[in-house]
Amino acid sequence: MDSFVAPERCITCSDEGLPMRVTELPRADGIAICSDESGADQEVAVDLLEQVAVGDEILVHAGVAIAMACRPETGRRQERMTA
Amino acid sequence: MKFVDEYRDAELGRAVAGEILATVEPGRHYKLMEVCGGHTHSIYRYGVDDLLPENVELVHGPGCPVCVIPMGRLDDAISLSHQPNVIFTCFGDMLRVPGSHGTLLDAKAEGADIRMVYSPLDALRMARENPDRDVIFFAIGFETTAPSTALTLKRAKAEGLTNFFCMCNHVMILPPLRALLESPDLRLDGFIGPGHVCTVVGARPFDFIPVDYNKPIVIAGFEPLDLLQAIQMILQQLKDGRCEVENQYARVVPTDGNLRALEVMSEVFALRPHFEWRGLGFISQSALKLSDAYADFDAELRYEVPGVRVADPKACQCGEVLKGVIKPWECKVFGSACTPEHAIGTCMVSPEGACAAYYNFGRFAREREVV
Repeated sequence: MDSFVAPERCITCSDEGLPMRVTELPRADGIAICSDESGADQEVAVDLLEQVAVGDEILVHAGVAIAMACRPETGRRQERMTA
Repeated sequence: MKFVDEYRDAELGRAVAGEILATVEPGRHYKLMEVCGGHTHSIYRYGVDDLLPENVELVHGPGCPVCVIPMGRLDDAISLSHQPNVIFTCFGDMLRVPGSHGTLLDAKAEGADIRMVYSPLDALRMARENPDRDVIFFAIGFETTAPSTALTLKRAKAEGLTNFFCMCNHVMILPPLRALLESPDLRLDGFIGPGHVCTVVGARPFDFIPVDYNKPIVIAGFEPLDLLQAIQMILQQLKDGRCEVENQYARVVPTDGNLRALEVMSEVFALRPHFEWRGLGFISQSALKLSDAYADFDAELRYEVPGVRVADPKACQCGEVLKGVIKPWECKVFGSACTPEHAIGTCMVSPEGACAAYYNFGRFAREREVV
């Protein structure tokens, strides 16, 4: 029997993007506290986003926020998927 | 959680699978490539391909950053890790990728100070905490990851750190896509576009695929419903005789990408004239190096590296897998000599590699089919 356990996602980085919610505004060093899918707090660099507010949903890759979720330009087809 | 749960809804999934069935033309075979390794992983993990009609075939593309690193670059990395007074840092997947004389994990066992990091910012922190040591970060990844490296180097420069270095292996997804489209080996009907790369570069750079090659592409998210919907959208384009870039992942992908990230990248990086991709060979202007303004942080300028090109192991067919010419299970060593525990090829190392994704999840479905 295989002893290898398949990881949930790429162990570290590759091309994953983790959805997180901003829970504390960024400090002077650009690090904000965000909660991940499991509710755990994570430190995330948000320098690459225009502006973040508490409650914003962001996409995080390798400890850095790369995108803000739920844009106003959300398309017609996308809306069908919204619960 | 918002933006996750609603994209795993089984009832909606069945409805979209029904739409796909209604969209395909019987008697026509559809070959669609998912460019991104993250998509490959999701397809096998959630069994998305089990919901597709038999005449819709998914082909795995070159979008796993670990899988495309050539062996020679690994040898260079291992050589750097053995330099005295160096702390060598990298993402965890790289530790098990075989070079010509072993892995970074083997080098660690031999005494090299190699540490796994989750973010390049962790490596920067180590440099701050160890001012008497040189800290090298082994940077890999597509445009999704390059901004985090660029941001880290910008911070290192602003802080005046002189003991932080980067071995840059960042690659870009568009040049290999163009190379694949030029390849006579592969006939594709459409592409599932790499959603996370597009959060950075936007949707616009993919215009050449419909314009120059007459193929549809739909940028997609990574949840099972995202993938099913993207497949339906590609098939709908083919049915309607349309050919365009569509954005299924509009909840995070803006048309123009992340301008701040692109700005930081253009400050920190410069194009390499050419770069070797595992299985695909040398591709012009397909990778990044540090710009002149950041040359002081370049590990390859600070230390000498062998820089020797090493051919892939003969038994390994990662190249054909990466080009989508063969399926993982068609490789001679798949599942026998090459497993995630003892990988010969890079596609078996990263969970996003097509072989590992198939080995971990897909083979069970196939075994059921064969029985």
